[in-house]
This record gives sequence, structure tokens and C-alpha cells, in this order.
Amino acid sequence: MSPLTKALRPKKVKHNRTGRVIRAIIVWALVAAVAFITVFPYAWMILTSFKGRLEAMSMEIKLFPETFKLDSYFALTDQDPSFVRAMLNTVFLELAVVPAGTFVTALAAFAFAKMRLPHKRFWLLFLMSGMMVPYAALMLPQYRAFSAIGWVGTPLPLIIPGLFGNVSMMFFFIQYLKSVPSALIEAGRVDGASWFGIFVRIMLPSMFPAIAAQVVFWFLGIWNDYFAPSLYLSGSNWLTLQALLAQINDNMQRMPDYPLVMAGAVISSIPIIVIYIACQKYFVQSLAMSGMKD
Amino acid sequence: MTATRRHGSKKTDLHKSERRTARLFIALPVTGFMIFTLFTLVAVFVFSMMDYNVFREEYIFLGFQNFVDLFSSKIYSVAFFRAIGNTVFMLLGVPIGIAVGLALAALLQAKAIRRSNKLFQVLFYLPSVTSVVAINLVFRYLFNPEYGLINGILGATVPWYSNGWLIKIAIIIKNTWSGMGGTMILCLAGMLAIPASYYEAADIDGASAARKFFKITLPLITPTMFYMLITGVIGGLQSYADAQVFAAGAPGAQTIVYFIWQYGINTGKQGLASAASLILAAFIMLITFVQFKISDKWVYED
Repeated sequence: MSPLTKALRPKKVKHNRTGRVIRAIIVWALVAAVAFITVFPYAWMILTSFKGRLEAMSMEIKLFPETFKLDSYFALTDQDPSFVRAMLNTVFLELAVVPAGTFVTALAAFAFAKMRLPHKRFWLLFLMSGMMVPYAALMLPQYRAFSAIGWVGTPLPLIIPGLFGNVSMMFFFIQYLKSVPSALIEAGRVDGASWFGIFVRIMLPSMFPAIAAQVVFWFLGIWNDYFAPSLYLSGSNWLTLQALLAQINDNMQRMPDYPLVMAGAVISSIPIIVIYIACQKYFVQSLAMSGMKD
Repeated sequence: MTATRRHGSKKTDLHKSERRTARLFIALPVTGFMIFTLFTLVAVFVFSMMDYNVFREEYIFLGFQNFVDLFSSKIYSVAFFRAIGNTVFMLLGVPIGIAVGLALAALLQAKAIRRSNKLFQVLFYLPSVTSVVAINLVFRYLFNPEYGLINGILGATVPWYSNGWLIKIAIIIKNTWSGMGGTMILCLAGMLAIPASYYEAADIDGASAARKFFKITLPLITPTMFYMLITGVIGGLQSYADAQVFAAGAPGAQTIVYFIWQYGINTGKQGLASAASLILAAFIMLITFVQFKISDKWVYED
């Protein structure tokens, strides 16, 4: 530090203090503004859901409903299928796909990361190449095939492919397993445990953080998915929440009922927001990890 | 050493059974890939060469006619080019979303707010976990030209739905809102990976916050931003819900995937739609491949 800067220092500190306060105010004001913009659509969604149908289409904008009406929420049960059924359908899909699909994926990741496997590199690249293919390209033949075997209108097209595992999840697990010591496996082998036994008793528990992070994302993906469910389930009782919500929106083009769709959006978002807040650690972590791979 | 040699054959047997077991463990994902991706890709290729004749209930072989029709037939090329144009224009939302996310991340790194930044991270990421349908429905209501809140505030009847440009701009605004949290978190992760010593060195030199941001932070998180740009473009090329739910099929917002859905599922022009989906797939695969190459993702050591 030169003598000149040293001499200037006391002045600079004084200047910095006011500067810091101003800067803090600007930063907080900006963040508060973004927070308001983020929250507002949710508030608007909730407030609208308590309004009357005509009230929501009034030319003069009022933030709060005249009286808080629950009619739209009751109307959701009159839909075909009812919103309750659609929610159960969605939960059923999650339970049918996520646990089994995760197990299959973790088992394959274990084989890739920790076992002797001929042509390992080839199989990895083989599976990886599939991640490049967009769903839009596969949708038409799959739709034809599923309709030929009579699966359209049933949840099977949304369940069966998931049971073969999830490749991007598998790569995440392989990366994670690199940090799990192989000595654990050796110990298991010495004790005479089978590979499957080692996987279930030693590997699965030690993979828990990775599994939790990925399961939360898969759960979310299925819950919020709308394209495939509306493709395969429209007109059936198996409609999922999001597909039903989109269908209600389609049906009301001529006679808009915004409180009804907003009530549907509220109900379908609540479980996800609760899970998100409960597991936010995993969300932020695994998202950050996915960007850090390179 | 001697022990290993003596039990050599036993060990080979063990390795053999290990290999067999490993093959079994990866069998399901490999089979799934062959059925749902590889075989399906072959099928879409075959479909793209055919047309289904509804009256005679049979397939006719057309060769590459569907591809030619997409680009030159009077009926289809207009819709196809419009879909490409709309999709590409709406990709503008990707860099905008990254810029906003970056600004937010930089804001949250400021000393004044750093202690509460976890709370804001969780809050700003909320739209990313909310269903696309719910978001589209809320924004459709907000942008409603007659009684939507946005026009109410602007005090004008901006024709957000009927004007082909305005509807795309509305979608970009909506996607910036819903995407900024995700890009912010990736930017923050990239920033946290920068060694603190770089900033300390800059502090000694008396560099301003802005200078540190442009000279240290920005260059070092370029790989993260590139990753976000590529994944954002790949996602944007497959956009569908915006066209279907937000725009309710308005021509100004019809995307490529909407075109594929409309012709392939709705009107039964499967061959044509398959050709369009192959073009989209080839383009996306090319981008992904380039990204893999650049970020060296192909290198996976065992």
C-alpha cells in the first residue's frame, strides 16, 4: 500500500459508511421488488379463487373478493372426473412409477459404478445418447404403439416406461457413487454377501442423500407433467390433476370461469409447495450439482 | 502374491459371475432404452416416409415427400415456418432469463443481504417447482386483454392474445418470471465455486464491486452460463404448454411441438408430423452433441 493511499484512508472509510448504507437500501429495495413480483401471481391466484365468476371478469380491478366464496372449490368436485379422483390418480401414478423406477435406476448405477462389467464405456455412451432424443420425436410412434395395444385411456403408457429406470437419474447416481468407498463392498464380499445383498443392505442406505434429491425431482416432474397425461388420458377417468386443469381451461373458452381454474391451480399446487418447502435443501442442492458437472 | 496365483481360477470364476450379475443389473435400463428410444426412433423414421390413407385404410410410401411438403407445400409450409419462427423468437426468453438470474444472484451476493439470502433463494425458486399449467393459467388471466390485471394497471386495452408479436412477448415475460429462480441458483452455485482468494487479491488492489463482477465473476461463470443457455434452448425448442394452455392454440404462439401434436395426433397427418419431429430431433441432438463435446461430458472414467 502506497503512502498516498494510506493518507487517504480515513476519509475513504467515512465515505464508505454512507455508501454502504445507500447500497444496502438499494439492494434490499431491488430484492424486495423481485420478491413481490414472484409472490404476486400466487396471491392473485388465491384471491381470485375466492371470487365470484362475474366478479373475476369485472372491468374494475379489485384485489380482494367482495366476500370470500368457497363455491369454486366445491365446483371442482363436480368436474368429470372429480378433482379428488384426479388427485388420487396422480398419487397412484407417483407410487407406481417412482419407487420401483428409482430402485431399478440405482441398481444399474451400482453395477456401472462399482462392478466389473464388460464394455462398460460402450453401454454408458449407449444409454447416454438416449438423453439427447427429445420426447417430441418419440411421441408419435409411441402413441400409435400404445393405442394399438389398447393402452390409451389407461395409465399404463405413463407407468411402464418409467419402470425401466431413468437415465439422467442414473448418471447422477454413478457420479455420487464415486464418493462412496469401495471398501464397504469388499467387506460385504468377504462376509459372503451376494451382489444384490450388498446393493440392498450397504449401497442403498449410503446413497440416501442422492436418492432423496433425485426422487424429489422425479416426483415433481410427474406431478407437474401435463403433455403425456393429456395425450393418453383425455376423456378417461384416469386424468391427472394437471391434465384435468388444462381440460377445464379448454372447456371454458366460451364461458370463462377464472375462479374455478384458479381454485384448481391452488389445490394442485399446494402439495408441491409443501413438499418443496419441506425438502428445499435437496432441491437447491441437486439443482446446483446438476449445473456444476462441467 | 502366491495366494492370488493359487486361487487364480477361483477368482476368474468370481469375476465371471460378477460380470454376469452386473449385466443383469443394467438389463432393464438397456432394454427400456432399446424399446422406447432406439426402436421408436426407427419407427418415426419409417413413419416420416409414409402417409396414411384414411379412405383406403392403408399406408402409402412417399419417400422424402413429407420433408419436401414441410418446406414447399402451400398448405403445410406456412404453418411449419410459422411454428419455427414462433419457437425461435420465443427462445429470446432464454438469454433474458439468464441475465435476470445472473443479476439476482449478484444481488444476493451483496454483503447487505447475504445473511438472508437462503430465504430469497427458496422464494425465487418457487415458480420453478410450480406446475406449468397453473402458471400458464394465472398468466393467461393476468394478460387477459379485457379484464386482466396487467391491462388494468396499464390503463389500456393491449391486445395480448390477438397480436402475433404481443402474445410471444407475453410468453417471454411469463417464462422470465418462472425461469429466473432456476438460473439464479445455478449462477450462485457457479459463483460460490470461485476461490475467495481471487476477490481478496482484487480487494488489495482496491477494485470496485462492479470491476470484480466483470473481471472475475463473469468470466469464471461463463461455463455455467453456457450450460444454461444450451439447456434453455433445448427446453425452449420443445415448448408446447405455452402454445396450448397460455395461447389456447393462437397462431401467433404455435410452436414446433404444437405443430407436431396438431398434425400427428389431432388431424392424422402422421407422416408429415413425423418428418417435422425428426427435423426437430436432429437439430436438438446436434446442439446436445456440441454441448457434450465442449463441456467434455463424454469423458466418463470408470
